Parts: sequence; C-alpha cells; structure tokens
Amino acid sequence: MNTEENIIEVKNLTVAFGSFKAVDDISFSVKRGEIFGFLGANGAGKTTTIRTICGILNPTSGKVSVNGKDVSASTAVLKPRIGYMSQKFTLYPDLSIKENMAFAGSLYNMDFAAIKKRSLELFKFIDLKESFSGPVKNLPGGIKQMVALCATLLHDPDLIFLDEPTAGVSPKTRSDFWRLIRALAAKGKTIFVTTHYMDEAEYCARIVLMERGRIVAFDSPQGLKNHFFPRGVTRIIFKKPFQLRVKEETEKAGIALCAPFGADLRAEVTDEKAFETYAERNKEIFDYKKVEASLEDVFLKAVKG
Amino acid sequence: MFRSVYAIAMKEYKHILRDPFTLAVTLALPMIFVLFFGFIIDLDYKHIPLNFQDNDKSKFSRMFLREFSSSGYFNLKPFQGSLFTDNLVESGNSGGMLIINHNFEKNIKEGKQAQAQLLMDGSDNARAAIMLAYSQGIALAASQNFAKLSGGEGNFAQPVRSRFLFNPELNSRWFIVPGLNTIIIGFLAIILTAVTVAKEWENGSMELLLSTPVSPAEIVVGKLLPYFVMTFFDVMLVFVMAVLVFRIPFEGSFMLYLIACWLYITGALALGLLISVATRAQQAAIQFAFALGLLPSFIFSGFIFPIENMPAFFRWLTVIFPQRWFLQISRSLFLSGGGALFIPFVCLSLFAVIMIFAAVKNFKTDVEP
Repeated sequence: MNTEENIIEVKNLTVAFGSFKAVDDISFSVKRGEIFGFLGANGAGKTTTIRTICGILNPTSGKVSVNGKDVSASTAVLKPRIGYMSQKFTLYPDLSIKENMAFAGSLYNMDFAAIKKRSLELFKFIDLKESFSGPVKNLPGGIKQMVALCATLLHDPDLIFLDEPTAGVSPKTRSDFWRLIRALAAKGKTIFVTTHYMDEAEYCARIVLMERGRIVAFDSPQGLKNHFFPRGVTRIIFKKPFQLRVKEETEKAGIALCAPFGADLRAEVTDEKAFETYAERNKEIFDYKKVEASLEDVFLKAVKG
Repeated sequence: MFRSVYAIAMKEYKHILRDPFTLAVTLALPMIFVLFFGFIIDLDYKHIPLNFQDNDKSKFSRMFLREFSSSGYFNLKPFQGSLFTDNLVESGNSGGMLIINHNFEKNIKEGKQAQAQLLMDGSDNARAAIMLAYSQGIALAASQNFAKLSGGEGNFAQPVRSRFLFNPELNSRWFIVPGLNTIIIGFLAIILTAVTVAKEWENGSMELLLSTPVSPAEIVVGKLLPYFVMTFFDVMLVFVMAVLVFRIPFEGSFMLYLIACWLYITGALALGLLISVATRAQQAAIQFAFALGLLPSFIFSGFIFPIENMPAFFRWLTVIFPQRWFLQISRSLFLSGGGALFIPFVCLSLFAVIMIFAAVKNFKTDVEP
C-alpha cells in the first residue's frame, strides 16, 4: 500500500478488555484529505478504534500507523498533528469560551496572540459571536459543540477525529458543522468522523460500517449502495391502511427486505416477476416506484445480515 | 513545557475559584480546626474532684490541703468513714483520694519522712498522669513552705522529682495547635488532589488531555501546583495564628519548618494523586482520602493518642505515616527548638519519594479502563 496516499493504516487491529473484544481484527486505511466515515451502533467499537489511532489506548494486537509511523512508538511526533474531539467530554463547563480556547491552545504550545487570531478566524467561519463571557455550561448544546470543534481545530491539525460531533444538535448547527468539515477537507485535512446520522454519512468519501467490533462493510457511499442493493430499492406507497404479513407473504410477493419509511415501506425486490404480479393484484392498495438506495437501507441490511 | 504546565495550573486555579465548595473547604477548614482545637477543646484538667482524709488534723496537714485546693486543679471534699476508696472512685464522682497519715506534722518537724498518699482513678490514664504531675508540683511547693516554717530542712516525701521542661504549664494548646497542620495537610492535600484528578478521569477530560502533546508529568505538576500553594497558604495561616493568637513560642528554625511542610505536602499530594489514579472516580477517591488521610492524622500521628502509649504493633505502624513524623518535627520546632529531627526528616523525605514514584508508575497514559 502506498503510505504517501494513506494517512492511516490499520492492520488486523484487536483491542480486548479482558475477554471482551471491543475491536476484533479490523483492517482499513484512510486516504490523505478524505472525509472518512465511521458508522455503527453504540458499542460497535468506533470510539475504541479512534482512541487507538490517537495513541491513547494500546492495541492488544495488530498494527496502527499514522503518516507511516507506528502510533504507539511515535506518539510524541504524531500528537501535535492530531485533533481529537471526544464524544464524552468537550469543554470545561465552568470556564468561559475564551478560557477554554486559551487552554486548548496552550496544550499545543500556542501563544495567546496566535490563539486569539485563530479563534476569531474559526468563529467567523461558523458565524459564532465570541461575546458570551459566562461559563460554557450556560451555552446551548449546539453552540457548545461548535466551540468544541473550534477548540479541536485551533492548532490546525492535519488529522482530525470527530467522535459523534453532531449528537444532539439542531439541523441548522449540523449543516454549519458539515460546511466547516467540508471546507477543511477541501484544504487537504483528513477528517475521521463517526456519526449516527445517515444523511451526514453521505458526505463521506468512504465509510466503514462496524458491528460488534468487526467491519461489516467498507466502501464509498455509492459503492455500498451498489453492493447491497444492486437492483435499487422499491418504495411501496400505500393508498389505504394495509399490513403485509411478514415472511410468507413477502416471500411470495418477491420482497426480501422491508423497512418502514414514514407511512410507506422501502423494500428490496428479489423476484421482479412475482412482485409485479403481486402489485398488479393489489393495485388498489399500494403504488410503487423504484428509488435509489439510501445509506439507511444499507445500514439496516448490513447490520441485519 | 512551561506553557502547558502554566496553562493547566491556571485552569485548575479557575476551577477552584469557581467552585465555592472547594474554596470554602480550603479556607474555612483551617479556621474551624484552629477554633475547635484551640479554643473549644481543652485537654487540660482543672477542678478534678478529689476526696481527702486528714488523719493528722494538724496545722501542716491543713496547709498541705490548702496547697492542693488553691492550685485550682483539684476540688477537695472531705471523706469520712473507713477506706472504701474503690467504691468512691468507681462511682465516678471522685478522681481519687488523698490521705494524710498520722504524725504528718510531727514527722516533718523531726526531719523524718512525712507521708501522704494519693490514690487515683487509673481508668482514665491521661487524667491520672496529669494529676500525678500536678500533685508532684504541689508537694514540692508545700515542702518548701514546711521547710521555711519548721526552720529546718523540709523532708517531705518526694518520690519522683519531675519537671516539665518545654511546656511547664502542660498547656494543651501549646501541644495541640502546632499539631493542627499535620491534620490540615494530611487531609486537605490528599483529598483535594484525589478528587481533582479523579474528576478529570470521570468526566472524560483526561482522555482529551492525553490526546494532546502534553506529557503526564506536565498534567500532574500543573494540576498539583495550585493545591500545593493552597495547602501551604493554610499551613502558614495556622502558623501565624499559633504564634500571634495563641502566643505559642516558636523556638526552632523557621527554615526547617518550611522544609518539613514542603516535604510533607509533596508526599500528601502524591498520595492523593496515587489514590485518584487508582480509583479514577471521585466517590471512591474521597473514601480512600478519608481512610488514608484523615484517620491516620488523628489516630496514628500522636496528635490525640501518645505514640508511646500504643501497643507495640500500632507503635510500629505509625512509622509508615508521614503525619507522625511531621507532628514530631512540628512540636519539636515549636516547643523545644529542635532536637533529634534527623530521622523524622529522612522518613518524611522517604515517604514523599516513594509516593511520587508510585503515583508516576501507576499514572497510565492510555485510557484503558
């Protein structure tokens, strides 16, 4: 593999806590300058993987390298180039925005003038007024996350880890967030992000899907869709209340996978002929149309399978 | 390097300023201790009820009794009847019994040994020891008076000649107040550190700190610096109060006292750090801090129970507690001005070094649970 192109290389990584394997023999690589998505349910091993790459958790076995250097052997060189926004803790609640920023910058040996200059740049980009001087705990959740992101970016890291940065923030803030993330990627920064939101995952160049410590899928969003739904998805739109009896009836109708989507169903049709006959027979009850698979469909299918 | 340490120390300083509880504890605790132990608790015994039986009923025997009652330490009550001293003392109403033998005056005048007997309730050995000391002082004074009166040499029974050198009044404040810093450091330094570092683990900020280029040593030094300063401030506060308010003489070298304080604070902070590194949770850290900080400060330091009176096992156990050594240094420097302090200083330094070593060794740079 080309280390020039890949900023992160993970090979056969296993992280075990006692007999429990939080991460179980996973391998993947992240290209320089891409937005890399890490998807999975809670407890799938996302945070553990990030911690290992950041050098704050030792792998039980396997190899993790960043910039071609083994992480556990060269944390001193790598840490200054990494920005990590953790899921659990972001800012000290009793300190003000300014104090939090000053503290974050000082940890990377920045002087106060540089911290101030850079903070203002970042705040301007996300339209944040730094006028609030009270403790951060009095800020709305979304703004707090925004400030935390700015604190993570303060020292201008090349490799940015964002562990569920948009959990619990408003759609407006989420879009601001992603505007900033994409601008960073455009500047050549590598972004490693975990999220629960499938619409956010669409922004990622490539995605890893994790399930109980293992990788169940690893591709670009389009690649994943094509792989899991080569025939696309059929949206079934009901005209009147109706229930498909699971199993026998869906099988007879040529449908393999169903997921509710509002009042409708999103289904994978496995037997076109059977489905057409079935739809014809029930055309009073539902309409259908072929749509493109979403990452949500992919996620549900991958995790189920 | 210095920028990160400074940043962490300043951050901690702001945490303290904005947390009314920590601030109150650090400022109020020494005050409360000084008030409580300095003014309210008085370990001096005065007006101990004492029964007497004067079998001589002479001028000298009455003089002797007057000497006892005018000392202020004893409240004398006559006792009639035969000697059932056991019952009398058991009833708890009497601290003991003073019996003056027949021919008390005659023997003194003839230059013979005069006899008076003091029976004391030994169940409270601290009080008995003090009563003995008082009565010896009184007997000495009395025998000087008798000598003057009888024109000859007083030959009153003097089984033990003892004199309290450094605290002639046996003033318990002089003994207690210099010991207060033992408890203040032993408790405050340990609990504050234990809680502050455990908090960083508990709320997940330690994970963030470790992901930055800051080294664990910088984190530790930065976090402990404000607590070092604060504890030291408290210690100086108690020192100033001891000297100015309680007028306790400070006989020894102030520099030695400072060194002892710094050594002890460093050891206590390191122990607090070790606790927090091991527990990583505030609740558990507080419990450990109480068990390893506050308890030994009171029990094993000699602050309340004299180490010499402990059973051999516990006497040896006190060796591992820095509280014991600091207390010894503090009392010596205050009251006698020095003395054999080499071993206490060595032990205090040893404790600090071992604790720092243990804390650093156990301070993990990864977040593995």
